[in-house]
Amino acid sequence: MLQNEQEYIRILKHRLEGTLPKDELDDIISDYSEHFSIGKANGRTDEELWRSLGSPEDVAREIRVMHLVKKAEDVRSCKNIFHAVIATLGLGLFNLVFVLVPFIMFLLLLFVIFLLGTVITLAGLVGVVFSLLQILGLSTFSVWLSPVAGVFLSIGMISTGLLIVIGNYYLARFCYHGCIRYLKWNISVITGTESEA
Amino acid sequence: MNIQFKKGVLEICVLSVLAHKDCYGYELVNEISKRIDISEGTIYPLLHRLKDDGYVTTYLQESAGGPPRKYYRLTESGRKEEHEQKEEWMRFAASVNALLDGKNDAAE
Repeated sequence: MLQNEQEYIRILKHRLEGTLPKDELDDIISDYSEHFSIGKANGRTDEELWRSLGSPEDVAREIRVMHLVKKAEDVRSCKNIFHAVIATLGLGLFNLVFVLVPFIMFLLLLFVIFLLGTVITLAGLVGVVFSLLQILGLSTFSVWLSPVAGVFLSIGMISTGLLIVIGNYYLARFCYHGCIRYLKWNISVITGTESEA
Repeated sequence: MNIQFKKGVLEICVLSVLAHKDCYGYELVNEISKRIDISEGTIYPLLHRLKDDGYVTTYLQESAGGPPRKYYRLTESGRKEEHEQKEEWMRFAASVNALLDGKNDAAE
């Protein structure tokens, strides 16, 4: 493969199109074109410049990750954080363990807490209905020892369940924020490849 | 030197060079790669991040016998950041050096 400016720029463009908005892509591309043209004006060859820059695939990967993490930070959504995490995984085997594993564990934790809150709320709702039916004499099926106590207990369960779900929402927001901070730290330390020069 | 170390200090290096003078990309990359062996291509994404964070701005300036070049300049908050990171680095480096010296003393 020919290691020249055109090829470098072509690969960068190809890898970044669809991820970066047009103006940002043009901005990035102009930096690398300028680097090549000034380098060549200073008597360096295309190959030398290519080697000291590092492979365009690595550079593009790094730019993509930075962009996606920034996007997830600016616009909070499940989709954005998933994209950011997946892009970070591409940076190396290290991240498979130190990004993916904690990410999945937190997701599971949030899901389990959500499930717990939902189940308690639903159980409370069922309890209220049965207790009321019993008080009205429409059912002989007894959930609690005393139907009146049952109503209050059930209402307590509904409140507890809802509190857990609401608390879980704030916990999720907190985790999202923590995840972004961790990814930013991660890309400022982990990425980048050894210079071949 | 370990790549993780280099990547971590790259940001303070870029800020520090820009604190001395405005640079165009190629110039900045040269200043840094003269002293630190790193993929030069990773400096541009870093510059973009610093721009996003509001630490640097860019402007175009004519060059002698060539197209205008894009110069990077530290903003006020960039100067503050540079100052803070420099202090932090100095303290860190002093602690590490003290530890390393202590270890050598003990080994003798």
